[in-house]
Amino acid sequence: MDLSVEIMFMSGVEDGHLIALSAENGDGVSNEGVWIIRFGRKEDNEIWLRYDSFASRYHARVYFRAQRWWLEDCNSKNGTFLELDDDDEARVSGSVPIDLGQLFRVGRTWFRIQDGAPNE
Amino acid sequence: MSDITLKDIQINARQESARMQHFFIGVEHLFIGMLKARESLAASIVEQHGLTTDYVIDEIRRRTGKGTSQRMFAGAPYTPRADMVMSIANDLMLERGADEIAEQDLLEAILEEGDSIPVRALHSLGITTPAARNVLANPLPATMPTPTSPTIQIEFAKNYSPLTTLRDEHYALLRRLFYGSGRIRIDAQLQGGYTTALILVVTAFGNDGLENAPVVVKIDRADTILDEAQRYEQIIKETLPPLTARLEDFPATMESSDLAGLKYTFVTGEDGAVSDMRAAAQNQSADVFSQWIYTDLYQRFGKTWWMQRKPYRFQVWTEYDWLLPPLVTLEYEAQDDPAAAVIKDPVRRSKIRKAEYGARIAIEDFAIHRIQPDRGSIILSSGRGFEAAKRAYKVELRGLNLEKDAHFRGEVVERISGRLWKTRDEILQMSVAGLAPDFDLASPVIPGLAHGAYLPNPLVLYDDLLDRYVNGSLSRIHGDLHLGNILVGHHHAAFLIDFAQARNGHTLFDWACLEVSLLDAYVMSAYGQDWDDAREAVHEINGSAGAAFTALPHELKPIFSIRNIVKENLEQAGNWSEYFIALAFCALRASTWDTMSIAGRRGAFYLSASAMGEVIATSRPSGQDTISSDGTEVDIPRP
Repeated sequence: MDLSVEIMFMSGVEDGHLIALSAENGDGVSNEGVWIIRFGRKEDNEIWLRYDSFASRYHARVYFRAQRWWLEDCNSKNGTFLELDDDDEARVSGSVPIDLGQLFRVGRTWFRIQDGAPNE
Repeated sequence: MSDITLKDIQINARQESARMQHFFIGVEHLFIGMLKARESLAASIVEQHGLTTDYVIDEIRRRTGKGTSQRMFAGAPYTPRADMVMSIANDLMLERGADEIAEQDLLEAILEEGDSIPVRALHSLGITTPAARNVLANPLPATMPTPTSPTIQIEFAKNYSPLTTLRDEHYALLRRLFYGSGRIRIDAQLQGGYTTALILVVTAFGNDGLENAPVVVKIDRADTILDEAQRYEQIIKETLPPLTARLEDFPATMESSDLAGLKYTFVTGEDGAVSDMRAAAQNQSADVFSQWIYTDLYQRFGKTWWMQRKPYRFQVWTEYDWLLPPLVTLEYEAQDDPAAAVIKDPVRRSKIRKAEYGARIAIEDFAIHRIQPDRGSIILSSGRGFEAAKRAYKVELRGLNLEKDAHFRGEVVERISGRLWKTRDEILQMSVAGLAPDFDLASPVIPGLAHGAYLPNPLVLYDDLLDRYVNGSLSRIHGDLHLGNILVGHHHAAFLIDFAQARNGHTLFDWACLEVSLLDAYVMSAYGQDWDDAREAVHEINGSAGAAFTALPHELKPIFSIRNIVKENLEQAGNWSEYFIALAFCALRASTWDTMSIAGRRGAFYLSASAMGEVIATSRPSGQDTISSDGTEVDIPRP
């Protein structure tokens, strides 16, 4: 499937930086037909957290499956968190569904999926 | 238009960034830079919403957290979002035909961009973008009276008798709260809870001399008051019955003091007087009062509160540890010792309990719960998990230089260390020793309620109970339910005030709190203040469990009205240990309160001991879930 996604930094020194990725351009990795965007401190991650010392080398991933986006923590040391309605956050264990526009935190850095869908 | 220059804002922003060890300039630093400038438009936005700049700055800092001293880039770069905001501000400046970006341009740009951390913080504090724009569009000159404004005359009702003397800062705050009135009359001072809050009944008169309905004014520390207003908006407002006290206007705050105040509307009874439940209890028969607790307080508020309960299995410490004194009190040491014993989540209390005076202890990943500038101390708490658990395991750290080190409420502190000054056990022991016990405080058992019987010593047993699991329920609770927070209004309706602790929590917590409050204010006066009186009172509370309501002594009827409510709210019918756990900790806390009467504190200590005894008894394999020690099941007719 031809997929693209836009992910924005929502805090830290890269706050406001928008990263646009698409499978067509060879971004991301594919695993058994699932397109995966990786977050981490190592530079081969699609979302490279070069300034976040709280991020693990391969910290978390976002992928598209069953017509929606999922956030998965990759056994990171400091955790991946999802913002809840009541101004609180919940630690992600395993995979959780995530909505466009919903804030999540990898290490100390907040992100949001601006836009993302299969290309028609 | 404010006369604050972009340069001023940028200087403040850089300072903020350095203090927080961020070393970059984001929209959050620019916004705080504006809030910190004197008489800025940004400050007027938050002040017109009843907040202080400090409160909002803490909310923003809580969202960003502090950086580390490790710098990963050179200089102090602008974030992409800050660059974008500056470019919008630049456009706005050009549209105005000006040649320098003004505060107004920058604020409008931040609101227009709309996704930055400060905008998210404002939204969560109830300040919407249109509301903020409205302040910008109508930049009012300072509408607030100066603290010494003489415009409002303050007088006292004839029968006013102060419990505490009002100070100048209280008068200044009252003038601000009633700004626009011709004069105000302080009718009464209500006995607050066991905190520092000052509660007044005030009647305002318009400039035309017409008398308004009285309102209840609460004055306390600014962050407590502002938290209460936030909680009211977010948790309480939509759940109140039609006729009750409501928060009116925004809180009033002052630059010159740490106090803030808020107003609750009130509808008085026929006599026009405002009284709290403590007074109401004295003025009516025990039967009427007991029934009032059930029908008016419980049933009227319960539909959206306690009756909305959901099953909730929790470890006792998550809901009840915060009632206890700090786990440890430490003397801060700047020099960190890598070999220090560490307190972090999950907390292992046994190690700390055995630590000796002067031992080095480090706290890791705890959140700052409160800052006490007057004492040079901070209170940290575990800060993780459920809302209740977040306040557990308080640690007090004294001897900090709060001027030098930037700390803020909600800050997660990676590691901070000190030397042990006092353990929780020591504080509890000292506090109860002040009640001149006629038994050994260190012994695992204390004299029981009947001659020759024994009860567990709460000071020894409490720690074990913290690790137990409870099958309880979760509902919206008041969080500080006591006789002083329940006012009696029109047609004797219960008017709850003081929502600073309102939250989703253990359903039975409120009732355990109220029972302890009743024990102090209602029950103990019928018995006396000696330890024997305390034992007798608690003995009779237990012993009358199986009795008919009509046969109960008057002073115990309200307590059994509460137990009746509890009975309906037990998660597992008949399993009273859920309640006794709550009661044991609420009562233990009360026994340490030096604002409570000696009789109340001694009674509370025995109530705690007795409740713990019941918990142990019912958890024995052969034990039956019963309310009283003689094995009789409670069966009280509904009043």
